[in-house]
Amino acid sequence: MNLKTPLPKGIPECIFSLPFDIAENGEKTAGFLTADREQIHIYDSDGRELNNFSLDSFSAFEATRQIGCSMLRGKRKNDDKWQFFCSFTQTHYIRYAELAKILDYYANTGVFVDHSDEEEPVCPKCGLSLDGSSTCPYCAKKGSTVKRLMKRLAPFKKPFIISILLTAFSYACDLVAPTLQRYLIDDVVQVQDPDMELFLIIAGTILCLALIGTAIDFITRRININITNGFIRDLRRDLFDKTQELSMRSISRRTAGEIIRRVSEDSRTIQQFVTDNGKEMILHTISLVALVIIMFVSNWKLALLVILPLPIAAWLASKVMRILDDRNSRWWRKTVASSRYLHDMLSGIRVVKSYGSEERETARYTEISKEVSKAQKNIDCIWYILSPLLRYVIAIGEFLMLYFGASAVMDIEITLGEFVQFTTYVSMLYGPLEWLTNLPRVLSQAMVAAGKAFEILDERIELKDAEIPADKPIEGNITFEHVSFGYTAYNPVLKDISLEIKQGEMIGIVGHSGVGKSTMINLIMRLYDPTSGSIKIDGTDLRDMTSKGLHDQMGVVLQETFLFNGTVLENIAYSKPNATFEEIIQAAKTADCHDFITRLPDGYNTYVGEKGYNLSGGERQRVAIARAILRDPKILILDEATASLDTQTEKQIQTALNRLIKGRTTIAIAHRLSTLSNADRLIVLDKGKLVEMGSHTELMKKHGVYYQLVMAQRTTAAIKKQTVTA
Amino acid sequence: MNEYKQTDFQIDSLRILDVNELHFTRLDSGYLDLEYKGNRYEQVSLTRLQPFYYLDTYISVSFKNDEDEWIEIGVIRDINDMSKEQHDLCAEYLQFRYYVPLITKVHSIRDNRMGYLFIDAETTAGRKRIAVNDWWTNFRVNNSGMLTVTDSDGNKYYIPHPEEMDRKSYRKLELFM
Repeated sequence: MNLKTPLPKGIPECIFSLPFDIAENGEKTAGFLTADREQIHIYDSDGRELNNFSLDSFSAFEATRQIGCSMLRGKRKNDDKWQFFCSFTQTHYIRYAELAKILDYYANTGVFVDHSDEEEPVCPKCGLSLDGSSTCPYCAKKGSTVKRLMKRLAPFKKPFIISILLTAFSYACDLVAPTLQRYLIDDVVQVQDPDMELFLIIAGTILCLALIGTAIDFITRRININITNGFIRDLRRDLFDKTQELSMRSISRRTAGEIIRRVSEDSRTIQQFVTDNGKEMILHTISLVALVIIMFVSNWKLALLVILPLPIAAWLASKVMRILDDRNSRWWRKTVASSRYLHDMLSGIRVVKSYGSEERETARYTEISKEVSKAQKNIDCIWYILSPLLRYVIAIGEFLMLYFGASAVMDIEITLGEFVQFTTYVSMLYGPLEWLTNLPRVLSQAMVAAGKAFEILDERIELKDAEIPADKPIEGNITFEHVSFGYTAYNPVLKDISLEIKQGEMIGIVGHSGVGKSTMINLIMRLYDPTSGSIKIDGTDLRDMTSKGLHDQMGVVLQETFLFNGTVLENIAYSKPNATFEEIIQAAKTADCHDFITRLPDGYNTYVGEKGYNLSGGERQRVAIARAILRDPKILILDEATASLDTQTEKQIQTALNRLIKGRTTIAIAHRLSTLSNADRLIVLDKGKLVEMGSHTELMKKHGVYYQLVMAQRTTAAIKKQTVTA
Repeated sequence: MNEYKQTDFQIDSLRILDVNELHFTRLDSGYLDLEYKGNRYEQVSLTRLQPFYYLDTYISVSFKNDEDEWIEIGVIRDINDMSKEQHDLCAEYLQFRYYVPLITKVHSIRDNRMGYLFIDAETTAGRKRIAVNDWWTNFRVNNSGMLTVTDSDGNKYYIPHPEEMDRKSYRKLELFM
C-alpha cells in the first residue's frame, strides 16, 4: 500500500506522507501529515507547519472512525489522554489505518517499519475502493446480459439447434407460399382458359406446406418447453446454490424477502421471456434478413422504400429500451421492497397482533403497493406513448411501398401477381417487425431480472474451500494463533487472540456484551475467516478444510432455536439425514425430549409449525439439542443455549446439555455465569482481547474482569430478590 | 482526572443538562473538557441523538470512566440556548464529528447492474463521484422523505428534501428512490 503521497513544494520529504481534507472545525481543507522515525508533522496546503509531535511521547496510535469521517490520534504517555492529529474523509481511512498500525507497532516494540506490505486498496485506474475485491466495479467489463443468458443455453445446444432448424424450415415453407400465390393469380386466375390441373397442384402444394408448418410448430413447441424448463431449473438451482455458498457477511446484506424474490420471481420473469422470445429472437432476425434479401431480389426499388425507416426505428427502439431500463429497475426495487415488507410482517406477525398494529401495517402495505403500482404505471405510460410512435415510423415504409407499388401496377411496370407477392412478403416482414417493436418492453424487464440474478451469481465467494482439502476425522483440539478479526477492514472486534483448547475440554467464553464472544464462535464455525492469524483444528488450518468437512463434525445449539417447518422427526434428523429411527430416539432421550414427544398426539410425526411455534421454548431447545447430539459431533458450540428459558426449564435443559458435552470439545457462551460453573476453563474477553483464562476459582482469586462480572451479577440477583420479596 | 460523584448518573431516567451550568473548554489535544455543577469531565463526547433531524438539539454528552466505559452525563436540549462562546464550541465539535456533506446538484446517476450506483454530484464539499455499494441499502429514503447516501468508503451524504432540488437533479434521483 502506498503511504507516500507526493508533497507540494516546501514540505520536506518524509518516510510517510498522507493528505487530509477536514479541518479541526469540521470545514473542508487540504493539508498533509508526514511521519518519520521521530516525529509526526502536520502541514497546511501552503506548506506551513501547523504542528509537530514526537513519536516517543505516545504509547498507542489509532485511526478512529467518526460519522462520515475519521481521525488519526495517539495516546499520550504523560497523561494517558488522546491527542488528535488530523481528520479526513473515509476515502483516506484505509491508508491512515495502515499508518496507525505501523506507528502503533513502533510504540509497542520500538521497531519502525518504513513501508507497508498490504495490497493497494483502490483501483489503480479510477481510484475506486476495491473493498477486498480483485476487480473494480467501475472499470470491470461484463458481457452483455443477453449474451450471458445465451451462454447458459449451452447445455441445451442440441435441442435448441434442432428447434431453430425446424422453425427455419417452416419459415422457408411460408416464404414459398407467396410465389405460389403469384403463379396462381398470373397463370391461373388471370388467364382466359385456366389450367385446372395446375390450379390443383398449386393449391395442393399450398395446403401441404400449411400442414407441414403446423406439424413443425407442434414439435418445436414441445422441444421449447423442455429447453425453457431445463434452463430455468438450472438458473434457480445455481441461484440457490450461490445463496448457500455466500458468506454470512454477504447473505446478511440482503433480506430474506429480497433473496426469495430473486430466486423465484426473477427466474420466472426470465422464464417468461425465454419461453416467449428466446427462440423468436433468433428466428425473427433470420427471417427479417431472408425477407429483405428476397424483397430486394423481387423488386429492389420497392424494397428500399420498405426498409428506409428501419434504421430510425432501430435507433428509437434503443432509446426506448434505455428509458425503460431504469424504470423497470425501479419497479423491480419497489416489488422487492414489497416482498421484503411482506416477509418481515409475516415473520413478526405475533408482535403485530400483540400490539394491535394490524391497521397500521395494512396502511403501510397499501402505501408500498401504491409505490409498486405507480412505478408500473410509469412504465406503461411511457410504453403506450412511445410504442405507437415506433410502429408509425416502421409503417411509413409500408405506405410508401403501397403508393409507389400501386402506381407501378397501374403504369404496367409490374404485374398484379408480382405486386401481391411483394405485399405478402411485406406483411410477412411486419410480423418480425411488430415483434421487434414490442421487444424493448419485455427485453428491458427480463434484462433487469437477469441482471439481478447475475448480480448474485457473480458475487465473490469470500470463504472458499481449499483446492486440495485436508479433511479428516477431527479429534477436537482447537488452536488460535494470533487471531485478529473485524467485520469491516481495520476495525478489529478480536485482537491478537492466542490460546489452545484441548480435546474434550469444556470452555466457557465470558465478557461484557459486544466484546467478541459470538465472533469467536463464528470464527471457529468458519462463518468468517480471521483478518490475520489462524485457527487450527488438530493442527490443520480451517482454511485448508472444506466447510462441509468441518461442519459435519460440529454441533451447534443457539439461543434462537430454529426449527424447520416439518415434523419433530425431520427436525432431529436434519443433522444426520441417514440416521436410523433408533438413533433418533436415542438422541431424543439424551436430550430429554423423548418423553414430551411421546405425549404429542402424532408423536415423532407431529408438525412443529412455522419456526417450531407449535412447541414451547424449552421443547424447541431440547429438539435442537437432540439434533446436535444425533450428529455425534467432536466439537460442540453452545451460544447462550439456555438464555431465553426460565430457571426451571434451564435446569432441565442443563441436564440434557451435561449429557451432550460429555467427551466432546465444548465451547459455550452464557451471560448467566452460573451456567458455566462446570467449565474446565473460562476465557475472559475484554474489548476484543483475551484478558484472563483459568478455572472459576482461579479467576475469582485474581480479582480481575471475571471477578467484577460475577460480583455485578450477584448484586443484580440480590436486587431482583429484594424487589420480588418487597 | 475526571472528578465526579457516581450518584450523578442515573441509567433509568433522562437527565436534561442545565445549559447555564455547562462549561466546555477546548484543549490542545483537540478534545473538549467539561465542568458541570462542580464536576469535571475530560475528553467528553457530544453525540446527536437523531443525527439526521436534530442537528442542534438533543445532544448527548458522555465521558469515559476509569473502566474505559462511556457514561452519559446528560442531554443538552438545545445548544442554541447556550452562551455564544459555548454554543460555538459545541457546534464546531459537532461539525467536526459529523461530516455529512449535502448533495446540492446531481449531474448523472448510473446503475452498473452489479450492485453499484455511481453518482456524479455537486456537494457542499465540492464535486464528487460517489460510488455506492449495495445501493438498495446505502441509498435510501427514510420515512420523512430524506435521502441518505453512504458510499463504499463510508462517506455519508444527504438530501433533506429531494423534491425541492432543481428539476433535472430530482428527475435523475427519482428513478432510483
